[in-house]
Formats: sequence, C-alpha cells, structure tokens
Amino acid sequence: MTRRPIGAIVAAAALLAALLFPIYWMAVSSVTPESRLFEARPLVPVSVTADHYRALFDERSFLIPIRNSLVVAGSTTLVAVPLATLCAYALGRLRMRGKGALLALVLAVSMFPQISIVPPLYLILREVRLLDTYPGLVLPYLTFSTPLAVWLLTGFFRQLPRDLEEAARLDGASRLRALYDVVLPLAAPGVATTAILIFLYCWNEFLFALSFTLGPDRYTVPVAITLFRGRYQVPWGQVLAATVVATAPVVLLVLAFQRRIVAGLTAGASKG
Amino acid sequence: MSVRRGSRLFTLALVAACASACGGRVDHASRLSFSGSALGPEAEVLRGQLARFDEAHPDVRVELRVTPDAADQRHQLYVQWLTGRASEPDVLQLDVIWTAEFAAAGWILPLEAFGPDVEDFFTAAAEAARWEGRLVAIPWFVDVGLLYWRTDLMDAAPRSLAALREAARGSIEAGATRLGLVWQGARYEGLITVFLEHLAAFGGGILDAEGRVIVDEPPALRALTFMRDAVSGGGFVPSSALTWQEEQVRFAFQNGDAAFMRNWPYAWTLLQDAARSRVAGRVSVAPLPAADDGRPAAALGGAQLAVNAHSANPSLAWELVAFLTAPEQMLERARLAGQLPPRRSLYETRALEEALPIPIAQVREVIDVAVPRPVTPVYSELSEILQVRVHRALTGQQAPEAALRDAAREMRELLARSGL
Amino acid sequence: MPDPMTRPARAEARLGWLLVSPALGLILLVSLGPILATTWEALHGHDLRLPWLGRPFIGLANFVEAAGDPRFLAALARTVAFAAVSVPIELALGLALALVMHATVRGRALVRVAALLPWAIPTVVAALIWRFIFDAQAGILTASLRDLGAIDAAFDWLVHPVAAWVPIIGADVWKTTPFVAILLLAGLQTIDPALDEAARIDGAGAVRRFATITLPLVGPALVVAAAFRTLDALRLFDLAYVLTGGGPGTATEPLSLYAFIALMQRLRFGYGSALSVTVFLLTFACALIWVRALGRLDRYAAPNEDSGPVAGPHSGPSKGI
Repeated sequence: MTRRPIGAIVAAAALLAALLFPIYWMAVSSVTPESRLFEARPLVPVSVTADHYRALFDERSFLIPIRNSLVVAGSTTLVAVPLATLCAYALGRLRMRGKGALLALVLAVSMFPQISIVPPLYLILREVRLLDTYPGLVLPYLTFSTPLAVWLLTGFFRQLPRDLEEAARLDGASRLRALYDVVLPLAAPGVATTAILIFLYCWNEFLFALSFTLGPDRYTVPVAITLFRGRYQVPWGQVLAATVVATAPVVLLVLAFQRRIVAGLTAGASKG
Repeated sequence: MSVRRGSRLFTLALVAACASACGGRVDHASRLSFSGSALGPEAEVLRGQLARFDEAHPDVRVELRVTPDAADQRHQLYVQWLTGRASEPDVLQLDVIWTAEFAAAGWILPLEAFGPDVEDFFTAAAEAARWEGRLVAIPWFVDVGLLYWRTDLMDAAPRSLAALREAARGSIEAGATRLGLVWQGARYEGLITVFLEHLAAFGGGILDAEGRVIVDEPPALRALTFMRDAVSGGGFVPSSALTWQEEQVRFAFQNGDAAFMRNWPYAWTLLQDAARSRVAGRVSVAPLPAADDGRPAAALGGAQLAVNAHSANPSLAWELVAFLTAPEQMLERARLAGQLPPRRSLYETRALEEALPIPIAQVREVIDVAVPRPVTPVYSELSEILQVRVHRALTGQQAPEAALRDAAREMRELLARSGL
Repeated sequence: MPDPMTRPARAEARLGWLLVSPALGLILLVSLGPILATTWEALHGHDLRLPWLGRPFIGLANFVEAAGDPRFLAALARTVAFAAVSVPIELALGLALALVMHATVRGRALVRVAALLPWAIPTVVAALIWRFIFDAQAGILTASLRDLGAIDAAFDWLVHPVAAWVPIIGADVWKTTPFVAILLLAGLQTIDPALDEAARIDGAGAVRRFATITLPLVGPALVVAAAFRTLDALRLFDLAYVLTGGGPGTATEPLSLYAFIALMQRLRFGYGSALSVTVFLLTFACALIWVRALGRLDRYAAPNEDSGPVAGPHSGPSKGI
C-alpha cells in the first residue's frame, strides 16, 4: 500500500477540492461585505463582516424558521422511529408469513415521488384546518420517514447476532422482554443512526413544506431561504448567511456521526 | 351561471343575516384584522395608520396579519383563507390583478351598499376595481411603468421607440454606458407588464373590450419582435435582463451601467440617494414612447383594498378601508413609501409634490395613459401562459409568431374551459 | 413445507403482526391512501380558482388533455433526458471517488467527511450555492471562464435553454456522487485483497485487474446505485425550482415542477393530480424494471441470501436530501 502513484494522489486531491470548494465558497462569501460580493475577489477572505448574519436574525427573524424546522423534524423523528423499531424488529427477526411482501411494500412506498401525494394531502389538510400548522407538516413527513425508518432498521436488526436473544429466551424471558432487555440495547446504535438520518431528511425536505405552509410563521428553513427573494430582489448576502446557518447542524451531525451514517447507508448493501 | 348567481345570493343573504345579527353589538365589533404587505417603509406607514384608526375608534383593535413578501405566495395564502370561508382577515390588500378573481369567486363584498365615492379616482384604477359593473375594491395606490433616462447623456427623452433604440445603441457605441435600456425580463408577472407596454406602444393588446384574445394579431407580433430584437445579439437590452426582476434592473441603472431604465416610481427616491446611487441628480422620468402606430402607455399596477365576504363586521371593515384610502393617508404613504395616490385631486395640490419629490407633471401624464392588465378571474393563468411563451420567444427558443400563436391558443382554451 | 405451523410459530407470527401493525397502518393511511385519492382526484375537473364549476367527474379527460399538452410532453421528455445524462456521470464519478476512498489509508476520516457533506446538506442550499457560483455577474465560475475568454462578456447561463442545465446537472452530480461512492465503497470492501494481489503477481495490469476483478464484484452495488439514482432523478424538483425556476421559458422544467405549478400556482387540482399520477407511474415503471434487473443479478451474486429485499436499506438516502 506504500506504492501509490502520484496520479492517484492528485486525483484524490482534485476530488476533495471539488467536493469541498462550493461549501467553502459559500461560507467565505457569507462573511464578505455586500459591496464586494459582486466583484472579482481572491479565494481567501480579505475583509470580513458579520452584517449578513446580523440582518438575518434581526430583520428576517430567521430564528422562526429554525424553530419550525427543529419542531417538525424532531417530532417526526420521535413518532416515526419508535413505530418503525417495533415493525422492523418483527420484520427482521420474527418468522412470519408475508414478510417479503411487506418489505417490498415498505420499499415501494418509500420511493413514492412526493408530488404524487401532494394534491390529496393538501385538500385533506385544508379540510381539517391543519394547513400551516406543525401537525400539518409532521403528518406528511411521516409518509416518507416511516417506511424509510422501517427499511433502515430492518437491516440493522438482521445484522444482530441471534445467540444472546436465544439465551434470554431459554432463560424464560418472553419475546417482548427479550426485545426490551437484550435486543434493543444491542440495536441502540442502529436506532440512533436511523434517528439521525430521519432528522436530516426532515430538516432538508422542501416540497411538502412549500406546499403545506402558508406564511412566514410556519416556513421551515429551506422554504424560508428560498422565498427570501421578495418582491424585488435577491439579497445574496443574507441568503448565503442563511445557507450557512441551515448547513451548520448538518455539518455537526456529519462530523459527529460520520462512521455511523456511512454504516447506515450501506447496512444492507454489503449483505451482512 | 346559475351556480354562480346562487352562490352570490347566498353570500348576500349571509352578509345581511350577519349584519342584522351583529348590529349594535359592541363586543363583536371590537376586533378587526388587516392583511397586506408589511415590508420596510410600507410596514411603518401601515402600522402608524392602523394605530391612528385604533385611537379614533376606542372600542376597536385592528390586528395586522403578516403575509409573505412574494406576491404569488401571498395570493396562495389568501386563496387558502378565503376558500376556507375564514372571516379573517376582514380587510385585504389585493394586487390589482387579483380583484376580478376574488370577486368572481364571491370572496369579497360588493361595496356600493356602503356608498363609496370613487369619482376622484383615475379611471383606469377605478375600472380595475370593478367586476361585472360592480365596485368590489377601492384603489389604494397606483404603480405605473416609467422610462427613467439620464439627463447627463441626452437633452430630452426619446419620443418614439425608434428614437429610444437609437439613443440606447448610441450610448453603448459611444462608450458612455455599458448597457442601453434595462427592464425586468425574468419569467414572472413583471415581464408581462413590460410586454403590455410594448403591446400598447404598437397599438395591440392582450384581450379586447369583449374579452376576446387578440395577442396573436399583427400589432402584438410587431411588439414581441421588437422586444426580441432588443435582447438578441447586437441589441440594446442585455440578455441578462431576461433573468432580472425590478431590483437587479435598478442596480444596473443606479451603478451608471445603463442609459435608460423601465421601472416603477419606487425607484425614484432610491436613485436620488447620492450615498448609494452613482446617477443621483442626473435622472428624469418620461412616459415610455410609442411606435408609429401605437400610443405611449404604461402598465398599471398597484394595490386595492377589499372587504372579506365572510367578515364578521363588514361595515366596520368598510370604515377601515375608507380611512386608509382617504387623501391624508394617501399623502403620508406617498411621502414615506414613495407610492403614488390614485386620487386625481391630489395631483392638483402642492402637498403631493412636497410629499414626493418625483416630477409630478410627468408622472401624471403617464398615469393618464396607463393601461390595466386584463380584468378577468383567470388572469393569473393567462399571465402564466404569456410569461412562458414570451420568455421562450425572448430567449430564442421559439419565433415570436409561433410563440404568440401558441399563447393565444392556450389562452382561448383556458377561457373556454373556465366558462367565462 | 406443507405442514401447519406449530403453536410457538403461530404465537410468533401473531406477535409479529401486532408489532408491525402500527407502522403499517400509518404507512397505509398516509401514503397508500393519498395515492389512491390522487388517482380519484385526477378523474375530476377541480379548479380551486373557478369554484363555480364545481368538481364534476370527467373520467380520463385530464389524461387526454395531458396527452395533447406540449408543455407536459416536453417536461416528460426532459425529465427522462435529465436522468439519462446525470446518472451515468454520477456513477462514473462515484466509482472514481469510491476507489479513492478505498485506497486512502491516511486521512480516511477527512475523505469520508468531505464525501458526506454535499450529500447531507439541504438540496435547496446546494441549489443556491450553485446558483451563486454560476451567477452571470458575481459567479466565480462565470467570471473565471470570462477571464479565460471561454465565454462571451454578456453570457448568462440561465438565459440559454441548454446552458441552464449545466448548473442543475452540476449541482446534482456534486450532491449525489458521494452517495453513489458510499454504496460502491461497501461493494469494494467485500473484495478480497488477496485476489487482487494474486492477479498482480500473475502480471495483470491495473486496468485489467479493474476490469476482471473490481468491476464484476462491485457490479451489484453499481446496479443498486443506478436504480436509486434513476428513480430519484425522475422526481427532480428542488434543484429546478430554486436554480432556474424551470426557465428560460420552460427549458428546464421537469415533470414534478410542472405538476407543482398546475397544482399550487394554477390551482387546477384535477389536472395537476393527473400530472402527479403520471410522475408516479413513470417512477413505478422504472422501479419495476430495476427490481427485475436486480433480481436477476441477485440470483447469481448471492444465491444463499435468505429472503427479503434485493437492495439494501438505502432507498431513502437517495431521495429528498
């Protein structure tokens, strides 16, 4: 492994740069004064300002969309993951008929194009007066997060060794007891990973939030940023600052849980 | 038709029932809600005026409902409220192009019962507030398209489109400015206002007086061809303008990059701010010129106030409308937000000139020739069809003739489908 | 096995259904219900802007209208073309990135984070970043190309019907290549290094080893990645909405965006539902094709796999984010 051609190193560096540069440029531009934003400038920041961030929170009340996103993504995760854990345990570890069909159904549902369920959801939410409310977003979010969580967790449960659970069963524990005492602690990392991924999806979701919120009071972060373009202008400075703020939690999660996330994404691809 | 009439009768009956039920009961009258644009200076004016209304009516509290900045977002919010028969907000700020839609759907009240006096308003503005002969809204402020021109580059504004073209080209060739004329050409409602001005300049229109589609007739073709030539290679409007909205247009002009700009009156005050503008003191306004066979014209924009058909207290809501559209409030709005009043009489006083430093005589001239956009309940869809087709023609994806033919066909289909 | 289930097995199955039912009920309620409702809505004339027309049942009239609607047909063709162009690029670059990640010994965490970041940030943010980079005035890429003389001073990506696709595809490739790479990396890691080493000793060159060892073994993962990327590309919405708004004209308007406009801007719920149903059918047909392809591949690659899904639990990661 010591003989690595210079070409490979250069290729690796180029790939890294291509992946990271857009994010870097966004961050640098967000602290660049508005007057310099539209002229040629060096790749490193020369003058730095916090103006855009100040405007973002003072004039734009950007805390409101952040709060909305946290509430909606958090609630969705809290509802979807426990339900999915029970379901995935059954699908991953119990013998029952029709499991294959159920999994296929879950997979199929998780691949629904979102736009295809927007019209009835809009009409129903309007009928029950849930448009522009938190439950009115959590409910649509469950449509993709529940099947996704079931799918991810089924993969995790399959990978767990069977011996400990069997031992607990031989000691006379019921299935549920064994699930609670033995399987869940073992599955905790998988459940946590699933929760992180579900949270990320909800945090990033755009189409439902755009369709089912009606005003600045309930906009989530992606919708709020997009609709910054008001009647007359694109305030790039503030938009860039907002993108940095919207990205920050994602970056923190990725930095903290990178191994887990990769494991989550590939849990089934390697086929145990 | 009978369904429509039925629903309208129902609305009236409902209003009557509510009026009799609410009559004389103070506690119901104590809250009123208003929703409209509350951005920057507009918000300050509005809050101040609502507070004054509160003071004059001690038993009333007016609430301001915040709405999105972007017009189509606000439209969606209103539709949502009104189709849900919400009784709030009681008073709505409507873009001029929404009035017919809301009236036809029975979402806003006819106002004759309150004895409004609209004699003083500009004819075009008052017409845009009517639907099927009934007054359904009161004009609040008017917007008109103006030709801003640089007094340091020329002595007088061009009087014809050909002269405008020559002057704009001349300015580029002489190196005086990088760009000739700038206008908002992104695919959105603003593009239709520019197109409408060109249509009028060539003697054409979108719909005729009977509501028939005439956008595929020769004058319209000449108008669109003129615009296409203006933005294509060797033209005098930058092709980037096809992604611009009002503010990008203003930035380009304000930086001294362009000899001419088409924009709304709001830009005036900003252009005169020497701290930010490189053209302060070197700008004037004129009507957008006509071609040989048309007339100078400006697109009429602006806002109107209307009363929610399900308002719990329509007469109090009307009082708020009357208060906000009174001359004093309009003058204050002109002074603080730079928005033009729709009352003729104000243009004959010195008060307006003092409130708004824009050359009033020229502006008055423009308002007199302003043309409204088609007054139809399906305006938003008509406009969307046109936006796509006009933008396709301007970006060279379709010849003007084909674009207009397709647009006209789609518009006729829409009108047929909508049962109008 | 024809014999009836034993008692414990029955109890286990009962418990299984008990545990499955809440999530399953929710999925049926919030996903399958609405898709049926969309189909039903698509059979009606329903225009929220024209309330006096009511909501009459009109059979397949909306679908007939769509079949004759040039904007719909163009959006359909464009959506398929987008998938056909962007997915192969993503697979090729994803494979390259996976090989780099696989070969990296030092700085593995750095590479992994670099790969995860574009994947994890909101699509809307990615769209805005790329819009900024491609901005005609301020964009660093536009300015650099202009300085090099590669493009005209007045050139604007978003005004040109073909060039406007460049930032969209660029953003999509940037954002989803890491996901592809992570899937492929898992495939690469199953390759026994000894096999590669043996081939090397036998004198096989790098290209030959890649073609005869790496590619066949990473094949199933590649097909999985291709499947998820295709399905995802067919519902393209966020990038087009934010980057170009579908313009110039409708040159970059994908099917989902046209359906959204019909629904939420024109408020034509009947027609918009019909368009949404076609998006669904398109994705569904494509999914069936991929499932068959995978099934065939699976039989060769993993004959001893007990049951269940052909692909791994990475359906979601490809969507939305």
